[in-house]
Amino acid sequence: MYLESVSITRATPGSQTSLREANRARIVDAVKRHGGLTQVELAGATGLSPATVSNIVKELTASGVLHTTPSTRSGRRAQHVTLARALGIVAGVHFSTRHMRVALADVTNTVVAEHNMPLAKDHRADNELDKATRLIADMLESVDARMDEILAVGIAVPAPVDAASGEISRSGLMRGWDGISIADLMHRRIKRPVFVDNEANLGALAEFRLGAARGTTNSIYLRVGQGIGAGLIINGSVFRGYSSSAGEFGHMTIDEGGPLCRCGNRGCLEAIAGGPAIIDSLREGNGPMKLTDVVVHAIAGDPLCIRAIADAGRHIGIAAANVCNLLAPERIVVGGELARAGELLLGPIRHSLERSVVMSTDKVADIVQGQLGERAELTGALLYAVDRTSIGADDPIA
Amino acid sequence: MTLVSDVSPDKHVVVDPVLTMRGINKGFGAVQALTDIDLDIYPGEVVALVGDNGAGKSTLVKILAGVHPPDSGTVTFNDKKVSIPSPAASRELGIATVFQDLALCDNLDVVSNLFLGREIGAFSLDEVEMESRSWELLRQLSAKIPSVRIAVASLSGGQRQTVAIARSLIGEPTVVILDEPTAALGVAQTAEVLNLIERLRERGLGVLLISHNLADVQAVADRCVVLRLGRNNGVFRVAEVSYEEIIAAITGATDNVVTRRAAATSANNEETSK
Repeated sequence: MYLESVSITRATPGSQTSLREANRARIVDAVKRHGGLTQVELAGATGLSPATVSNIVKELTASGVLHTTPSTRSGRRAQHVTLARALGIVAGVHFSTRHMRVALADVTNTVVAEHNMPLAKDHRADNELDKATRLIADMLESVDARMDEILAVGIAVPAPVDAASGEISRSGLMRGWDGISIADLMHRRIKRPVFVDNEANLGALAEFRLGAARGTTNSIYLRVGQGIGAGLIINGSVFRGYSSSAGEFGHMTIDEGGPLCRCGNRGCLEAIAGGPAIIDSLREGNGPMKLTDVVVHAIAGDPLCIRAIADAGRHIGIAAANVCNLLAPERIVVGGELARAGELLLGPIRHSLERSVVMSTDKVADIVQGQLGERAELTGALLYAVDRTSIGADDPIA
Repeated sequence: MTLVSDVSPDKHVVVDPVLTMRGINKGFGAVQALTDIDLDIYPGEVVALVGDNGAGKSTLVKILAGVHPPDSGTVTFNDKKVSIPSPAASRELGIATVFQDLALCDNLDVVSNLFLGREIGAFSLDEVEMESRSWELLRQLSAKIPSVRIAVASLSGGQRQTVAIARSLIGEPTVVILDEPTAALGVAQTAEVLNLIERLRERGLGVLLISHNLADVQAVADRCVVLRLGRNNGVFRVAEVSYEEIIAAITGATDNVVTRRAAATSANNEETSK
């Protein structure tokens, strides 16, 4: 497996330098994956000899990539190797409807530790914030850092957040999180500045800075998963609107007499093309079905799952056409769980968008898949935390 | 603007359960531990088995693991009626059980633990093959084990659980039973184990998860089977049920004098109306 990875990553397999480079990448990868490791463990994890590991670690420490601290393992002296972090760390947390991702990164957005776990449906704020706090503490320990090295915490939640109060702008969208200031609660636990925003906004920020929307000035990030949301990048910055609730793409009315939506209206896009709607349309004694199963079956060629995703895509395309008519973005980046279906989703979106949009076809936004995948929102949370701290590191929470 | 599809999808290919238990009874002397238990496990599905202390969860698991034979009832595995007289028989069928105490040898390294009793090599051990198979398996499970040559004693709780689950996969099972895999673990380790359960599900295995932690159950399970005092007390699709409903079924709040009387009256009414 070792030789294999060399030949994949390097154009000239076999040469001394390429081998050394591949080994270096291997070690940095292993450290990233485990957070922190001793040199002996690194040798085990990479399959390299302890001497090679020691040499490369020394080299990478000198060039400022890695950082070593003396420690002990099973009573023996050892070198604990972590990624170097110059200016402090930021933490990013992404709570989605069914998943939580937590990462620590330095201010240059190099992730030094990351964890993710599935969450219960209708999770509750206090419980999940506790979990996130404990995970952050755990991860800090694994990279040999203290809580006060954290500059800021960025949190992404799947609902619009009122910037003034820090509460979810509209109750009922996240039942366990209503009527509380998330930033306040998290600040009380972690005693560091906390900044909270809608996951779609942060996903948009990440794709705009580092992903598929780079180089555009007006773009839209569509997040299609359990819910449907959008982050709007207008003139190079995230547009939040009054009470920060812009971009509620999933609650555009598609069919006035359509099915009831969780927001209380009828015929919202989300009620027709959101994750639960897709799963319901396939619920015919097929045992368990999650949104990821639908995507996997569709990619494997199950015609019913392909059709269900295409139907969702068609509806999303109509809503996207309306937004295009209004904002004329250069690019629409599609992210979220369902975007993993690739062209199975993008094709139908493109098709129905082109039919309903007013611009000529060469001026219409191109529709592409997100580059950051399921980590877009987490990356956005980290970016947001860095952005907000650079204004003034000792500011109280927003 | 209306574009709601009116084509309703045809029926899916119905998947048969890989494991079915029907009318299982088990008593220990004067104690009736299980009464008429039914249970289905489908491939690629996580079924959570929940219940109060003494509800019969462990007894049910031990029947599947071949520790106790049932007094009556049938177990069907891959459409064939089977009996599970011993743990070896259970393993041969393709049922892997990871017990709460993990049953790992602390003094042996990860490779030896994974292949304990199933070592590769005819006359001398093929350590290289076993080590590479170990790495392959652990990588498939996205396991965070720094080295496979360190004693299991020096691993964290979550890593030990991972090793125990990985060991259960060596025999290529079709059903994996996990008894309280997240009890006594920290958040980070719990996260690892829950992700691991999702991996098992993606591999198309049927997973039976016994847990007291409803947050974990709701996070990974597709269905939730509630036992109460040795009887079935409800089967829920996790996506459609609230935390409170499961708790009610576990504690018996749904099954009390008032509800029983109401059910009896309505049944009587139906009979008289016939």
